[in-house]
Amino acid sequence: MKFILTLILGFAFGTVLLATQAFSWFRIQQMFRFESFHMYGVLFSAIATAAISLIIIKKFKVKSINGNPIEVTPKKLDLKANIIGGLLFGIGWGLTGACSAPLYILIGLHYEIGIALFLGAMVGVYLFGIFDSRKKNL
Amino acid sequence: MKSPLAWYIAGPLIGLIVPLLLILKEKQFGISSSYRYLGSKLFKKVNYFNYKSESDAWQFQFAIGLILAGLIIPQLIDVEAITTLEANTSYGLIFEKIYSSSNILFFFIGGLFVGFGSRYANGCTAGHCIMGISQFSVSSIVSTVCFFIGGLFVSYIVIPFLF
Repeated sequence: MKFILTLILGFAFGTVLLATQAFSWFRIQQMFRFESFHMYGVLFSAIATAAISLIIIKKFKVKSINGNPIEVTPKKLDLKANIIGGLLFGIGWGLTGACSAPLYILIGLHYEIGIALFLGAMVGVYLFGIFDSRKKNL
Repeated sequence: MKSPLAWYIAGPLIGLIVPLLLILKEKQFGISSSYRYLGSKLFKKVNYFNYKSESDAWQFQFAIGLILAGLIIPQLIDVEAITTLEANTSYGLIFEKIYSSSNILFFFIGGLFVGFGSRYANGCTAGHCIMGISQFSVSSIVSTVCFFIGGLFVSYIVIPFLF
């Protein structure tokens, strides 16, 4: 049943991205070229909603459905990784118009393109895995 | 449906995924760890993929929901009306053809950057831009700024050169 719940959340999230066209190559190009406010509005209001939710959760000590306290830990700062990884991801996002969620949506929507993207991402992750394992051996 | 769902409705709905996941699943929002999770099933010989992958299994389940949405929702609403709606803007003509099968290699190469970059930066738009910035995390703010620098570079310099 836990699987079904997560699947439904993913489906709902994908539905919103589709309805607002955030999956679209065209919308992402518009965003990077400052031709439309649409995607900025989506991102800013999403971040604001998430931030307010986190403040409410903290202030009222909201518990999870299992009764556990909710803890949120920020990702660790690693300037080199955040900057180089961030730039590389940005290049991929700009080229394909797809970050991770739209990548999966495209598998359903335009399966040839979506699968090419997905295979690319998997090879990319594999290469990163090798890079990361070597880095730690040095 | 000729125009997209308004940003002031879509954005808050997207943001709500953060408290929903925390309350229902005790998970912080992110999607790109699903690649590492899949890697843990496929590339067992590489150290990076030997980790407690079960904590990321939910991201793979979430991704299946996304794929199903991509299959089903376009049957119900016209998600790509934009092709005709905004065909006059500078990218209109490219857009009509962008998802054609002749661009498979282009998307594969772009996917390489998405996969490598998101794992190197330890997050993507979901984990850094939305989950991370909403916690005012420095690492997520730095990453998001770099996402945009990379995207701006491609949009202004690479895309006009390619198409």
